[in-house]
Amino acid sequence: MNVVVASYVLYLAISIALTVWVARTLHKNGRVFLVDVFHGNEPLADSVNHLLVVGFYLINLGYVSLALKLGYAVNTAQEGIEALSAKVGMVLVVLGAMHFFNLFIFSRMRRRASVTEAPPPVMPDAYTPVRGYNHA
Amino acid sequence: MRELTVLYDSQCGLCRRAQAWLISKPKYVELAFVPASSDEARSRYPQLNHDLTVNDLTVISDEGAVYRGPKAWLMCLWALRDYRDWALRLSSPELLPTAKRVISTISQNRYQLEGLGSVVLKGAR
Repeated sequence: MNVVVASYVLYLAISIALTVWVARTLHKNGRVFLVDVFHGNEPLADSVNHLLVVGFYLINLGYVSLALKLGYAVNTAQEGIEALSAKVGMVLVVLGAMHFFNLFIFSRMRRRASVTEAPPPVMPDAYTPVRGYNHA
Repeated sequence: MRELTVLYDSQCGLCRRAQAWLISKPKYVELAFVPASSDEARSRYPQLNHDLTVNDLTVISDEGAVYRGPKAWLMCLWALRDYRDWALRLSSPELLPTAKRVISTISQNRYQLEGLGSVVLKGAR
């Protein structure tokens, strides 16, 4: 196995392990947000959570595969480690961006839900009797 | 709260246009429009001071809560699906005084604004 193939194998192992770790973190900690957004409707929250994680896996693993090819010759172990570091670094940055994007989606869903249920923003000036409504 | 009754000035073109706009928007809370100080308004709310409803837009909830002037405008926005977030933003302590001032100014000059609006529209044609 030459240096290039070794760096590819290591790259894939590290990238996939990182993707799985981030996805599991999202899956575990995002659930609380979603249960809150869907007012305790746990089956719906779990479903949306799962769908989000699937999208996360697809985009990240897709990026990892597309970014695999090195495109230049690597002969020594030093060059191999440098190439590997650059590739894994890019994967980390993409994972980070995706992670924050997911957090953004969670927080936006939560804010939307809180707007939908917001009580009247101002206090009434007075009360007047209304037929059919009993002021008790 | 399921419905808000809007007592509006049916003599003013700007108000009728605003009413048409409100009717066309999707809502969280239904809006019922009744001309201010009309017989219907008086029979619906026999104990309300109807003289106050002539000058300021008034909104009354189905529970009898009365909102006047700028608050009534904010309640109309709050009833709309696409503008509830705006109602909340404009009611924040930082923006509420400005919002009230702007709304009062528009409200007090509604007849003049109507004339200005038609002049601008004619000019654009």
